Amino acid sequence: MNRLFNDRLFTTVLALLAIGVVVLVAMPGAISPYMVNATGQLAAFALLAVSLDLIWGYAGVLSLGHGLYFALGGYVVAMHLLKHAMAVTGKVPDFMQFMGWSEFPFYWSGFEHFGYAAVMAVVLTILLAGACGYVSFRSRVGGVYFSIITQAFVYVAMLLMFRNDTGFGGNNGMTGFSVVFGFDMADPAVTRGLAAVSLLVLVVALVGCRSLVTSRFGRLVIACRDDEARLRSLGYGTLPIKLGVWCLSAVLAAIAGFLYVPQVGIINPRLLSPDVSLEIAVWVAIGGRGALSGAVIGAILVNGVKFWLSSRAPELWPFILSGLVVLVVLVFPNGLLDLGRWRPRLIATPSVVKRT
Amino acid sequence: MTRIAIDVANLHVQFGAFRALTDLSLTIFYGEVHAIIGPNGAGKTTLLDVISGLTRPRSGTVMLDGAQDLAHQSDTAIARAGVRRKFQKPSVFMALTVAENLDIGAGAARSPARIAEIADLIGLSDLLDRQAGTLAHGQKQWLEIGMVLAAHPRVLMLDEPVAGLTDAETGRTAALIRRLRAPDRAIVVVEHDMDFVELIADRVTVLHEGRILFEGAMADARRDPRVIDVYLGR
Amino acid sequence: MQYLAKSLVQALVLLCALGGAQQAQAYDHAAITDAACGDAASSAEAARLIVTGAGDATADDLAWARSMVTATLERTLACSTGRPPVLSLRNRAAYDTAAAMLTLLAAPEPDARTAALRTLSRKPEQTPAAVLDRATAAERDPKLKAALAEFAQLADLGSPDLARRGRAISHLADAPSTRVATQLATLRADPAYVADAGFRTTVEAAITRVDRWMLVGQVLSMLYNGLSFASILFMSAVGLAVIFGLMGVINLAQGEFIMMGAYGTFLVQQGLRAVAPGLVEWYLPIAIIPVFLVTAGIGVLLEVGLIRHLYKRPLMSLLATWAVSLFLVNLVRVVFGTQNLQFDTPFYVRGGIAVVGDFIITWNRLFAIGFAGLSLAGTWLLLRRTPFGLNVRAVTQNRDMAACVGIATRRVDMLAFGLGSGLAGLAGLALSPLYNVNPQMGTNFVIDSFMVVVLGGVAALEGTVLAALGIGQLNVLVEPFYGAVAAKVIVLLLTIAFLQWRPEGLFALQGRRR
Repeated sequence: MNRLFNDRLFTTVLALLAIGVVVLVAMPGAISPYMVNATGQLAAFALLAVSLDLIWGYAGVLSLGHGLYFALGGYVVAMHLLKHAMAVTGKVPDFMQFMGWSEFPFYWSGFEHFGYAAVMAVVLTILLAGACGYVSFRSRVGGVYFSIITQAFVYVAMLLMFRNDTGFGGNNGMTGFSVVFGFDMADPAVTRGLAAVSLLVLVVALVGCRSLVTSRFGRLVIACRDDEARLRSLGYGTLPIKLGVWCLSAVLAAIAGFLYVPQVGIINPRLLSPDVSLEIAVWVAIGGRGALSGAVIGAILVNGVKFWLSSRAPELWPFILSGLVVLVVLVFPNGLLDLGRWRPRLIATPSVVKRT
Repeated sequence: MTRIAIDVANLHVQFGAFRALTDLSLTIFYGEVHAIIGPNGAGKTTLLDVISGLTRPRSGTVMLDGAQDLAHQSDTAIARAGVRRKFQKPSVFMALTVAENLDIGAGAARSPARIAEIADLIGLSDLLDRQAGTLAHGQKQWLEIGMVLAAHPRVLMLDEPVAGLTDAETGRTAALIRRLRAPDRAIVVVEHDMDFVELIADRVTVLHEGRILFEGAMADARRDPRVIDVYLGR
Repeated sequence: MQYLAKSLVQALVLLCALGGAQQAQAYDHAAITDAACGDAASSAEAARLIVTGAGDATADDLAWARSMVTATLERTLACSTGRPPVLSLRNRAAYDTAAAMLTLLAAPEPDARTAALRTLSRKPEQTPAAVLDRATAAERDPKLKAALAEFAQLADLGSPDLARRGRAISHLADAPSTRVATQLATLRADPAYVADAGFRTTVEAAITRVDRWMLVGQVLSMLYNGLSFASILFMSAVGLAVIFGLMGVINLAQGEFIMMGAYGTFLVQQGLRAVAPGLVEWYLPIAIIPVFLVTAGIGVLLEVGLIRHLYKRPLMSLLATWAVSLFLVNLVRVVFGTQNLQFDTPFYVRGGIAVVGDFIITWNRLFAIGFAGLSLAGTWLLLRRTPFGLNVRAVTQNRDMAACVGIATRRVDMLAFGLGSGLAGLAGLALSPLYNVNPQMGTNFVIDSFMVVVLGGVAALEGTVLAALGIGQLNVLVEPFYGAVAAKVIVLLLTIAFLQWRPEGLFALQGRRR
């Protein structure tokens, strides 16, 4: 147990998040509904960042297509919410009216049950990530090649989802989630509940990931990152190790999407743009990869600034973001964690991450 | 009669138009330290690569214990069969501690006692909690030897174990290798340093341009005119 | 023998017909004017008389008929009744046709004749052969002459003389196109098609022939489009491949270098317009050197300022170059706006030569293909025949060893990055007459370019060329059948399948793995 919590920063972050859950549950009205909603979204982003950190920071495999799994979770929950809303209110979803359909396509059946949707989110993610990961890791595609291929995957998925005839809302995506578990989405209590659940899931995921990376399996994952050939010639099959972390990471990303979409109330293929996936990597790089708390801090900080700027000067955001990336890459190779350790160097070299 | 550990027969390895190994046959015995020497490009590391499954030969066999052909098995399977190899460039898991490195090396044979034993053998008992990335070069070399040793390998292959070490460190490494000699273990050492080889080797194979130039005792090798010509004379 | 006799009889009949026509020729000005002033039926007869006589009328008669028809149409015809006749809708059309015919024969201005011919083309069968022959014989303008020949065929196609129709059909089939195919297909509904077996056979044979050539044209056209797409891909990917081979860095801003090349070309065009308007047409060749230098220069700056510090961290270099691309896209968006740029289309990239069927070698695509060819030759010479190229290849194969033998690896990196960026800039120049140019355009090419690098490997230029051709052609081949999205999906899946077989790409560096 003490190995789990011997990192002070990690424990602090975890404690703050837990306090957030308590405040949301026990003190309704303490925070404005807008801030509650923003908190919930940030929690989903933080979970997404943790999922990427697991695969990039610990396994050394950079996915530039994690938006694919995030969106998969999001699309699945959107399907559930639309079917649920139609069952309760009788209103036909916009995208079906647009396509002139009166019935859901056959692959939508079953999604009115939350349990089915939740299981499908996980199963579909494992199937998709498993297939992508298997073909890549099996042929020892790694490093930059792997990143590029994951980016190509998310790009192709975006093109597919932009088509209107796929039955997932096409260009306009899906929106109009009015009911969740029979409750009115507009109710502030529902907003608070969703945010609290998101934070809670984040806390659980953090503890789970932390215990994973400090376990023997976690050490094998790190060993795989540091020197995969060495690990193989010590008699370890690295394919199951990498594939295992990869699928876990994808599932966490899907869960993040599953939590995120009900809170923003819309999903469309722009979530699958390669730029979105790259931004996730940027959160992790800024927060500091290879430390779960860093990923959380990075996601919350970057998105916090983005939220704040979005109502004031949204056109400045790309410039700030690119400036941040260059700064982090050149001066703080381990992200903001470097600030805490007072190790900024002009033109720095990284301490642990080696060439892959 | 000494038992044969690995029997390499008629090995051919080619990279594009370059013939790295040509019709190479070689026998490695249990209980011996077998040194493979030769000038740069002679094919020493390529031979280790084939035995450890990193390079596929164009033809030829690599029999382990006369039963298992390693030439077409994966590096993982070969390692599991008990053939372990230390790389030329020290390869340890930089972000893990010495103890964790040894634990991973030991695999199924891991236990606190085994890790302590190995750490003692390689002289890193006091550094068990140090991150491997922060070790000195020589300590990394020893740690890697410890990692490949920890799982009780039958065949231990060391690629340039004393490259970049000081004389004192080289002496310690030589003593370590002599101590590792065991009746049920074959040790293969690829090395440039002739004096070091003379200290440790029971048998020497001199490679030149992918072929065997000489095989026998180190003292004889130093007297062999062909060896002097291509290697020692330089 | 029988055939000869038959031909003879036909010739005689033809002569008699001509003779008969001859007799009825000279326009009876008064009679025709009277008829035109009469009721609808007699007015129609007047038009008919004018039309049938036009083939042999004297120049004076033609001039008279032209003014008379114009007057009728403009309702200024001097009639004995004192009132100009009112034309029925049907007769107006007849007089329009007559006016067009007379204009074709008598108007001195080629434009007027062209317009007249266009009017007549709507109903080719209304123009008598004699008028057409006369117009063809008199025509001096080559374009109009060709148009007349084509018109003659069309007229023949509707002619009551089956032999004439047959000849017209085979003539048509000699120059297959979509239009010809439609025209031939409509003949299947012709009464003669049902009634006359010989005619039916002629039509069917012609259709088969046209279809075959159309298919050839389609295939060639697809290959041609694929080749032009592959050319752009190659120019974009070759820089990526050289840089990746050298430094293990994938430049995610490569697409933005293409975009900057296109914008640079635009600036050169605008600059010429302001400074030397006479040279605006030549902006494409003039832009080559400045665009290459500017994009290469920006590439060098990027290498020195950013990439150089990330060689040991290729994954971080992905993020860094992405940040650069984000910055560039938004900078261009702020400066130029998001709309597509308006490029002039100089004469040398306008139009093309029709080859077969609908396959046209369009100059704009040929420009891109030729440009890529030249870049390939230049890059090949640079990498294979110059000391710089030798250094690049040496550093690609073994950086440490290259440094040991005194190669300034940092300088090589910098110059190679400049070269790769410059080539991407030239790709932007080459595609500006072909594709939309806007701040986001880079994204369209960059993923395909990655696939080219992944597929082609980094060891040899041949790999990049082959992979660019393969991916370019595949995209264009799949697109018409399954859509652009399916094309991308198939390219991606095939690339991944290929990697299962050869993880290092088509051409891998040979040597020990470790």
